[in-house]
Amino acid sequence: MKTIEEINQKIKDGNAVVVTAREMTRIVQENGAGKAAEEVDVVTTGTFGAMCSSGAFFNFGHSDPPIKMSRTYINGVEAYSGLAAVDAYLGATQPHRNPDIGLDYGGAHLLEDLIRGKEVELVAEAYGTDCYPRTDVHTFLSLENLNQATMINPRNCYQNYAAATNSTEETIYTYMGTLLPQMGNVSYSSAGELSPLLNDPYFQTIGLGTRIFLCGSQGYIIGEGTQHATEGERRNGVPVGSAGTLMLKGDMKKMDADYIRGATMPKYGPTLYVGAGIPIPVLNEEIARRTGVSDADIACKIYDYGTPRRDRPAVMETNYEELRTGKIEINGNEVQTSPLSSFKKALEIAEELKKWMDNGEFFLTSPVENLPSSGFTVQPLEIKRPSIMVRDLKSKTAITARAEEAISEVARKMVDNNINHLPVVDHAGRLMGIVTSWDIAQAVAKDSQKLTEIMTKKVIVAMEDEPVEVIARRIDKHEISGVPIVDRNNLVKGMITAEDISRLICSQNNEEGD
Amino acid sequence: MKAWLNFSPSIVSKTVISDLIKNFDVTFNILRADITPKGGKMLIEISGSEAEKGIKYMEKEGIQLNPIKKVVKKDEEKCMDCGECISLCPVKAIKMEEDWSVELDNQKCIGCGFCTTSCPTKAIKIAD
Ligand code: SF4
Ligand code: SF4
Repeated sequence: MKTIEEINQKIKDGNAVVVTAREMTRIVQENGAGKAAEEVDVVTTGTFGAMCSSGAFFNFGHSDPPIKMSRTYINGVEAYSGLAAVDAYLGATQPHRNPDIGLDYGGAHLLEDLIRGKEVELVAEAYGTDCYPRTDVHTFLSLENLNQATMINPRNCYQNYAAATNSTEETIYTYMGTLLPQMGNVSYSSAGELSPLLNDPYFQTIGLGTRIFLCGSQGYIIGEGTQHATEGERRNGVPVGSAGTLMLKGDMKKMDADYIRGATMPKYGPTLYVGAGIPIPVLNEEIARRTGVSDADIACKIYDYGTPRRDRPAVMETNYEELRTGKIEINGNEVQTSPLSSFKKALEIAEELKKWMDNGEFFLTSPVENLPSSGFTVQPLEIKRPSIMVRDLKSKTAITARAEEAISEVARKMVDNNINHLPVVDHAGRLMGIVTSWDIAQAVAKDSQKLTEIMTKKVIVAMEDEPVEVIARRIDKHEISGVPIVDRNNLVKGMITAEDISRLICSQNNEEGD
Repeated sequence: MKAWLNFSPSIVSKTVISDLIKNFDVTFNILRADITPKGGKMLIEISGSEAEKGIKYMEKEGIQLNPIKKVVKKDEEKCMDCGECISLCPVKAIKMEEDWSVELDNQKCIGCGFCTTSCPTKAIKIAD
């Protein structure tokens, strides 16, 4: 119906009709897709969310005498310099080399600082060669001193994503933010009806070479992003889960710090908030209808991030209209919802991109090649040596104590069996609590008589069908030395201790050495 | 009114708070408390017709009272209005405005600090 050339001519003449994806939703609802296709030339989208997979290539220029950098730190954050002599790639999620700073200042913060024009410290080491004799460098530089600072984001602008909650008894810290116990909150991370790939869900206009808004500058899509997927379930044409992704390129020297933010997900790590906006030319009625998508049409599932496995259980399905109200009902309880991405910034981006076109400063490109819209699935990483499950461990038979047993009896059991932990069980063998040798020592010192008084009632446990790695992390996180193994009925099946796990790792390493 | 009460060690064992409630017509809400044998501090909300008299009484008993207007402070430069803090607030003191900006309500805030530790840009601080 319309061509990109025709629309570009209109932009040049100053009479292209450009609307934001949010405005388009209302236009399509009120006038229908046919009329909207006639009236509107371009729909602008926007998103401003945490995009971990971000980073930049730097070229530092040559020093005299020259150096072939093999380890490079900028403001204490390591950039990968296994490229050529003075090139490096800095990843947004790289933490600071100093563990005390660690997650508080990482690659993402550095990228923001550079765009803000701040001076940064460059430290590089090398092994020295005949042509590059120098072995270290220590200097200061800013964005303008770099030959190139090219942002390349391997996986951005996820087409839809999951929402997250946590069914466990403790707060967990994830890339989806802080998740409260017992499904105390839900977080989600998509700009919904404003989001680029949800407005062009089959990549009819988006592809390699598409010019876009990237952090306040004009950038490009340079292909599908990593983990691009096309075969997932769809509703109203829009994928229900995470699907397509984009690889983006932009020139950091032209970026505006208003549209980028270095951040840290608490106890998870640094991440970069990236502002991206993609124009969608309304070439025909179908594209108009797709850009008319509303938050209510975009479904997404809420997953339980309390399960640290690849396949997390879905709690329920919802949509962005519901998520955006700030609350949702899960199993009859009202739960507050939080967006992780900024809808306000996403709107600003869509408006800004629209302004660029209204002012004749931004023109559309025809993609050299469209993004693949079929045949892409995400393969899992199969580990050749699969995880050892708790039930596969040759754990010792469970030695337990009954709640009514005398403290002295329990102490003897520990000594006889040379153990430090003793799960306390009821008549049926169900877990009630746990005592350690330290608890017994305290009981004697304080002259306590009852086991139920001294045992820890809130016991951290291992389930039989959990991988041992998960238990290792749990033991480490809670700074304990062992956990009872229980089945789904809370029956005690054994005990797993930090020692068991170290022994396991040692034996595995020995096997590998054979 | 919200205020921080600073206790000296000598007063920790006295029953000032219950005396206060018994003797004056005040409503008293303890929002945060950090009390050790070496003294401590407590964030309170006090209201009622005799609140002023109650405050005088506490001061006489040796409790230092520092009224505060703001419990949480949001750095508008750092805040990107993502909204991540909203669902963590136990008293719904954080909300998304019509224009999608995020606002904190100091009237409701109890200074629990959940939003402070969860904000990805460290934009929220608890006032001391
Ligand atoms: S989490 Fe931080 S950045 Fe996000 S809205 Fe709250 S205060 Fe602002
Ligand atoms: S400090 Fe606690 S109560 Fe106050 S706004 Fe933050 S989360 Fe809400």
